[in-house]
Amino acid sequence: MKSSLIRPALALALAASLAACGGSDKAEFIVAGSVTDLVYDGLVLTNAGVALKVAPPTTAGAAVRFAFPDKLEYGDTYAVTVTGNPAHQTCEPGVPPGGLYANNADTAGRLVTIDIAIACKINEYTVGGTITGLTGAGLVLANGSTGGTYTAATPATPPATTPIAYELPLVKFGTTYGVTVTKQPAGQVCTVANPTGTMGDARVQNVNVTCVAA
Amino acid sequence: MKSSYLRASAALACAVVLTACGGDDGQLLLAGTISGVTKPGMILMNNNGSEFEVPVPSNGTGVTTFRFPELISSDDKYDVKVKSAPSNVDITTCKYLYNTGRAGFDVTNIQISCAFRTQALGGTVSNLKGELVLINGSDRVIVPAGATTFTMARVAQDAPYGVSILTNPANQSCTIANGVGTVGAADVNNVTVTCAP
Repeated sequence: MKSSLIRPALALALAASLAACGGSDKAEFIVAGSVTDLVYDGLVLTNAGVALKVAPPTTAGAAVRFAFPDKLEYGDTYAVTVTGNPAHQTCEPGVPPGGLYANNADTAGRLVTIDIAIACKINEYTVGGTITGLTGAGLVLANGSTGGTYTAATPATPPATTPIAYELPLVKFGTTYGVTVTKQPAGQVCTVANPTGTMGDARVQNVNVTCVAA
Repeated sequence: MKSSYLRASAALACAVVLTACGGDDGQLLLAGTISGVTKPGMILMNNNGSEFEVPVPSNGTGVTTFRFPELISSDDKYDVKVKSAPSNVDITTCKYLYNTGRAGFDVTNIQISCAFRTQALGGTVSNLKGELVLINGSDRVIVPAGATTFTMARVAQDAPYGVSILTNPANQSCTIANGVGTVGAADVNNVTVTCAP
């Protein structure tokens, strides 16, 4: 008699707890994450057609947290993509700390929380131009002490009459460049036109070098 | 009687195998990456024994990979350090990652980074009546009106430098003497900027 009372009571308790599971406070997942190295305005992230603007941090260098307004249920999928890059920067899904792969797309509930990594970097472009009149061997151009060097190939005999195109390594947007002749070619003096500037949003191709007999 | 011969020969075979394992001619690579190599003389050493001089990479970046010519054996302990560095590298700045351990597979993940010795770069300014902006590549320095000297960021030994004018002062035009060169083992302080009128 006693046991027959216990059983319905247990069944009732079980039913109650199941109802709680299926009720209004079931598990919900927020599609959230952080953006690193964001400096400029204009970043737009999109998940399932919903766009979210992300502003740069108030403290330079800090990571920015973002969260989409719509909540997901267990088993829903998400895929956050960069649909608008900030000015002067390129952002893409990054590898979270301690991870091996980008985590911008997955199924809600596979992990306890969703914490997507988006990594931005400043765009960079080459600095270069043409070299005209080079007949001597040994010309070396440099962009300061850390911007790399360009060593011209020894000119053929007779030297080419068309200008030689050259490129120095990449320079980040907003960074200055200053091209100088580190080593003059044998028997010649080269001068640099438009040698200095601040990198904009395109390759610099007007740093032209002209060489004449010394 | 037969079995004791077998045992003896088995023990002998074992001993031969073990000797082979313990020998210095192994099968596993001992390799990694290193930065700070722009001159000959970067010598690495494993277990205070075998040495290897890292070849200088041709692109001037100073970053390259290295691989000890001698192979190591499975379960060998390894401990790779810089034994001696070229003159433009301060050996005390060398930092190591994954440079010690016991070999299980090819060891290719050793990371060594050594910093270059640096020298000051600067000079004098005359007749400056406004704000002048000087650059050495990505290094940008604002020189205020009335200044008589300026200092750029320190430069690695053996690196080129080229001090140029990014922005002239208002109503003035400046010229630079001794603005280009290669840093040696001494500070560069002879860059001379003259402004007119």
